[in-house]
Amino acid sequence: MPGARNFTGASIEIAGTVPSRMRAKASGRDVRGGYLGVVLLDQVSKRYGRGPWVLRDLTLEVSGLTVLTGANGTGKSTLLKIAAGVLKPTSGRVSRPASVGYVPERFPSDVKMSASAYLAHMGRIRRAESGDVLERLGFVGSMTAPMSELSKGNAQKVALAQAFLASDVLVLDEPWTGLDASAAAELVSLLEGRTALVSDHEGHLASATRVDLSGGHVTIELSRVAEPDALGALEGVRSVQARGSSVRVVVAPDRSDQVLAEALRLGCSVRSVR
Amino acid sequence: MISLVRYLAVDVFRGQRYLAPLLVFLGVMGMLFSSDAGQPLEAYSGSSALLYPIAAWMAVVVATSEDVVRREITVVSAGGWSRVLTAAALVSVLFALAMALLAAVWPVVTNPHPYTAGEFFVGLAAHTGCALLGVGVGLMFARPVFDSIGRTVLAVFSVVVLTYPLGRATPLGWVLDALGHNRASLSLLGTVAVGVALVSAAVVAGVRRA
Repeated sequence: MPGARNFTGASIEIAGTVPSRMRAKASGRDVRGGYLGVVLLDQVSKRYGRGPWVLRDLTLEVSGLTVLTGANGTGKSTLLKIAAGVLKPTSGRVSRPASVGYVPERFPSDVKMSASAYLAHMGRIRRAESGDVLERLGFVGSMTAPMSELSKGNAQKVALAQAFLASDVLVLDEPWTGLDASAAAELVSLLEGRTALVSDHEGHLASATRVDLSGGHVTIELSRVAEPDALGALEGVRSVQARGSSVRVVVAPDRSDQVLAEALRLGCSVRSVR
Repeated sequence: MISLVRYLAVDVFRGQRYLAPLLVFLGVMGMLFSSDAGQPLEAYSGSSALLYPIAAWMAVVVATSEDVVRREITVVSAGGWSRVLTAAALVSVLFALAMALLAAVWPVVTNPHPYTAGEFFVGLAAHTGCALLGVGVGLMFARPVFDSIGRTVLAVFSVVVLTYPLGRATPLGWVLDALGHNRASLSLLGTVAVGVALVSAAVVAGVRRA
């Protein structure tokens, strides 16, 4: 399909953390139809309501440590939510293993439950034993105090510890947020050998397969946009973001001329193209 | 599922937002039964009418106890929206059933008129039906069906307020009509069935919307 983007992660690696009920599956498929330790996104597109397309025809196989990069607004967090199972794609298919761990971009700061109670509950829900992730990350707060009293970094460590309860795949959105240097280095070590899809602006995972969501794009700044939805629906448009009085349109290079022509036809004035 | 229900229930207790509907419920129950509340079944009509909005309020509290981000983590941990929304509905129903039981027992203890076992069970069925209707309405307009708490409150309030003047056109009206005339009716069981269907529909609507 024109404009489709295909990415393949690292080669398939199934670490020795697969639960016994999964190891018994000789076919390599798990109970939900996904492949063990592999997330597959096939021709995935996403838009929120009738808004602009955030992702268009994206195909991605995550079978090792894979890093997502890209400018703001290129759909990294949306893609991670779709991979984790939080969001449904507007179109396309997603296949994922049963046990997925997810860390959102920002862990909530008003949780009344203590870290120990929260991790115990998450462990029971997953039927998994909590490991030593918190200790390895250097958690220093109170395990029995409400999590709302924890520092940002320690709350992030709790969020990571609950994600590492998952045995198959990790989906982590900016997991280094709030971590000090030693915890950040330890997280890199924890991720070694795991199948994970991680957004990483800071280059912590130099050896991982990299997927640039904005890879080769043209950014068009427009003003006087009366119908941003019309632009969002055009082929090749990856995102449309309102920024004050202007609108920023991220578009595939091979479609930028058509989008510019359509913008002018709609009466927009072009501020910049880069 | 039991672990998930337990986690969500503990989270509601820790959040303490359940206290507002519970205290309103207890306060109004105290006022309703502070003196002779009338014949046994008639006395249940006020508390049944009260339980409907209180159960809706409590269901909204349960559905929105976790903020959006923590709910996303729970969904991934539990293996999908359907499991989490079903668990949230079960917690809401458990809260509602506990209040229904309390509301059915209260006048047995405080009302000067003696209650037979049959009258008690009719009252329990009436309260259960009203509570389930409330839970269904609360969940139908709470997250993830409506993302904004303002819209949720407005929608639930509107539906609850509009239900009363519709009288016997609604399942709530069937209950209040039967109790007001001091008689048992099969329509009480119909109300319970409609309540169960409404709660189930709210879960399905939530899964589709998520």
